[in-house]
Amino acid sequence: MALKKAAKKTEPAGPPQLLWRRDGASCLVTNDFGQYAWLKKKDFDLLLAGRLGGKHPRYAALADKGFIRDRLDFDGLAAKWRSKNAFLNSGPGLHILVLTLRCNHKCLYCQSAAAGPGARDTDMSAATAKKCVDFAFQSPNPGITIEFQGGEPLLNWEALKAAVLHARGKAKKTGKNLSLALVSNFSLMTEEKAQFLMEQEVSICTSLDGPADLHNRNRVFCGGNSHAATVKWLKFFQARHARQVPEYRVFKPSALLTVSRYSLGRHKEIIDEYVKAGLEDVFVRPLAPIGYAKNLWGQIGYEAKDFADFYLKSLDYILKLNRRGVVIREKMAAMMLDKIVNARDPGYLDARCPCGAAIGQIAYNYNGDLYTCDEGRMVGWEGDDAFKIGNVRKDTYRKVLTSGAARACVLSSNLESQPDCARCAYKPYCGVCPVYNYEAQGSLWGDMATNDRCGLFKGIFGALFALLKKPGNETILKNWVGK
Amino acid sequence: MTKKQNKGGLVADAAVYSAEALQLAAFVYSDRAEISIKAGKGVFNVSFCGEAPGFHPGDYMNEVLNQQCRLDLAKQNSKAAGMIATKALLSAAGGTKKKA
Ligand code: SF4
Repeated sequence: MALKKAAKKTEPAGPPQLLWRRDGASCLVTNDFGQYAWLKKKDFDLLLAGRLGGKHPRYAALADKGFIRDRLDFDGLAAKWRSKNAFLNSGPGLHILVLTLRCNHKCLYCQSAAAGPGARDTDMSAATAKKCVDFAFQSPNPGITIEFQGGEPLLNWEALKAAVLHARGKAKKTGKNLSLALVSNFSLMTEEKAQFLMEQEVSICTSLDGPADLHNRNRVFCGGNSHAATVKWLKFFQARHARQVPEYRVFKPSALLTVSRYSLGRHKEIIDEYVKAGLEDVFVRPLAPIGYAKNLWGQIGYEAKDFADFYLKSLDYILKLNRRGVVIREKMAAMMLDKIVNARDPGYLDARCPCGAAIGQIAYNYNGDLYTCDEGRMVGWEGDDAFKIGNVRKDTYRKVLTSGAARACVLSSNLESQPDCARCAYKPYCGVCPVYNYEAQGSLWGDMATNDRCGLFKGIFGALFALLKKPGNETILKNWVGK
Repeated sequence: MTKKQNKGGLVADAAVYSAEALQLAAFVYSDRAEISIKAGKGVFNVSFCGEAPGFHPGDYMNEVLNQQCRLDLAKQNSKAAGMIATKALLSAAGGTKKKA
């Protein structure tokens, strides 16, 4: 009699889609739904082998996060993915109007391709400014943000005023949600201008590079003391924010920090300066070797590891201040945490997949030329129009959004097509920048294995996940994005 | 996988590297060297001329590897990647709404 063959043992199925990164004795696992967990090596091996059974103490939590194959809540996870990637449905929300290339400052790292204060042929006309506003309102996005930049935008006050009033009128007609923002060095601010901006609910952002000596070294202003003007107007807008009036909302002013070589080693003084100025956010931004800064890299630039060191020390110092009850947070970390902790999109266009170029933002040069983003415009200033997507007077909205440069940026910043990123544990929260890749590595795709921006993001994510492991820090960091 | 050739050229194994990856990388490096690629028996012969100071053939081969990995990945991921890119572009261009 023939013996029956023993039934084949079926191997347990492994986990569903999973990204991971080893850190000492533990492993960070993430998935495309933005969920994460730290696992001990032993538990990670069980998960990978599909042998982490229902009685395991981590089973329920891992199942909730979509890490257990036979307990997948498809509807819930799909809803998470959709909300995290809602920007894929909306079109460009940020519209940057470069009202003039003129500037009265000569900042060491200036990326805005500024011309001298006398060069009036680089001003945007009021008519072009209105055209830009009309163009912006063609975006299907229900929320439109118009950001006025330069040069120094206050040097072209007439165009600024015309654009603000026109945009308010358009918002009323279309029912779109309009936010207006001004990025200014404040040196030309007057009470009259400030009053107009507040009445029109324009939010105000400036640059503050630290204590007076450092700020003035980075931000050279022949007409006076840049730091003094910055602090004076920050205080003015803060005071007006504190005593709101019923007719309009006054926003809290904000500031941006650009880290030059001279800033390295001075993180405590810089953060203290922000606290002293009453600011609750400090956005520690690295210099990018783009435009003007690229030419001066030898003088003011630094290696990625120097910035990473500065950044991590800053983060550490901010947490120390938080423990003492001081309210201050680092903006980039806060935006990344919003993705990690809340699976929310904080609207950080630099860390999206695909990146914000054209599909999330458009930069409008003074002459109506359109670029994928402000960084793309800087490359245009160098004489290379690789990122130009059209002109506001000549091209239709649809033509611009389907232009070769727009498509190339979307394709090249798609992390699913980037060899290193597609398997990286930080992919659910990260994004690459085609302009950076083009400038630093010669192609839109870049090569993440040797890409400094990627190295920097890996450092930041590594630090944030490590901090989230410690309960004390976790509570503070979750508070940053709790609202 | 790559061997040094006489006169500073390289030989790339055709079983590992595709002509497309070699050409894409040559394009990335076009401002640093003139790179010509000739198909041989199971190999590609790569030669360089007019190299800019600091150019190193090894850097070019790193870029070839990067491009090859990207092409290989595209074979597996192109469906998901294509859906994301199409969705983003069509939505931004205002093309996903059905006409009433
Ligand atoms: S850019 Fe770097 S950190 Fe970000 S997903 Fe890609 S490989 Fe990971």
